[in-house]
Amino acid sequence: MSENKSLNQKFEELEKAKEWFYSDEFELDKAVEKYKSAIALAKELQKDLDDLKNEIEILDEDFTK
Amino acid sequence: MSKAGLPQTLNFTPTEFLAVVNQTLEYAYSSVTIVGEVASFKVNQGKWVFFDIKDEESSVSCFMTLYQLRMPLEDGMKVVVRGVPKVTKWGKFSFTVTAVKPVGEGSLKKAYELLKKKLADEGLFDLTKKRKIPEDLTKIGVISSTAAAGYADFIKILNARWGGLKIQVAHTQVQGMDAPDQIIRALKYFNERGNVQAIVILRGGGSADDLACFNDEILVREIASSRIPVITGIGHEVDESLADLAADIRASTPSNAAEILTSDREDVKRSVARMASDLFSVITSKIDVLKKTNVDIILQISDVIKMKIIDIKGVLSERIKVLDALNPERILKQGYAVLNGKISPGNVVKITTYEREIKAEIKEIYERK
Repeated sequence: MSENKSLNQKFEELEKAKEWFYSDEFELDKAVEKYKSAIALAKELQKDLDDLKNEIEILDEDFTK
Repeated sequence: MSKAGLPQTLNFTPTEFLAVVNQTLEYAYSSVTIVGEVASFKVNQGKWVFFDIKDEESSVSCFMTLYQLRMPLEDGMKVVVRGVPKVTKWGKFSFTVTAVKPVGEGSLKKAYELLKKKLADEGLFDLTKKRKIPEDLTKIGVISSTAAAGYADFIKILNARWGGLKIQVAHTQVQGMDAPDQIIRALKYFNERGNVQAIVILRGGGSADDLACFNDEILVREIASSRIPVITGIGHEVDESLADLAADIRASTPSNAAEILTSDREDVKRSVARMASDLFSVITSKIDVLKKTNVDIILQISDVIKMKIIDIKGVLSERIKVLDALNPERILKQGYAVLNGKISPGNVVKITTYEREIKAEIKEIYERK
């Protein structure tokens, strides 16, 4: 659904989806669809969080001199 | 040996002799450390430092530049000095010191307190100068020994808590007389060439002597002047170094530094799950609101109908009262009678009362007075 988006972008998207539910724009007819998308995004985010790895680089620089 | 069997005599000028002696000394003792007590400490012209290092029986004159003096010295302090022996051009033996550091709890504490006061007076530890670690932290510079337990703890906690970080590690010594200069070089590297948003200096627990390198004046100044925010995770909670005081953030341990720098992915996952579950609650609560609104509207309509019925009932009741008042039966009941037939003497008429009908003959007719 949003494979190329960064973690932050996905967080923002989920936050926006949440805001819609609390806003005056809320419509019951659209809510179920929006809810399904938000849940899918939340699951994707949780998976992304599990898959995140750090890159560790030991510098070649010699700091003894 | 000479041809005559006598030892060969070497002839030098004083300058040549001292050069040979110094060369010999340097060859024999290229790097020596001496442990002893400081005596006759003095600084000349704000540049040259002279003191003696002594024990119960002997004393060695020492010389160094003020720049090389990285911690305050006072007479009576026990120190270890590193340097090379030399004979000056005036023929005086001297130990040229390249590094000096206090040893023993009392001397370490004394040097620490003296330097702390000096740097605090200069405002080096002012809390107003502290900077925050960027919130969008993705690039971290680490200065530590990659063999140190503290470094391993930091990486372990960091990997467990969060990911997606780019970490550059500058491998340096984190104890001993060479450590401050190596850490300074690493700080300069990150500030000048490294593409990082925060620098972390790490070292696990150790003795006061092991951690003494983090009280090096030049290192402390370098931390304070770092362009990039510095976080220290040195020793344990109880160990406070001057590097900690100069840093923007002091973590109590290397593990704590990892905790300060990163969010816990499990917390974030829980928060995402909570957010999703909140959405369901929002939908059900919105449905409840709509349901309630419908019920309210129905109740309002019902109330209006009830009021209309009451009004109509009132009107009907009034009309019934009026009709009732005009009811002939009611008049008869009050004792009146209705007379039907031609009213003339000798005629028979019908008289109706509330309870009876009467046939009667008219005897006489006269006017009412």
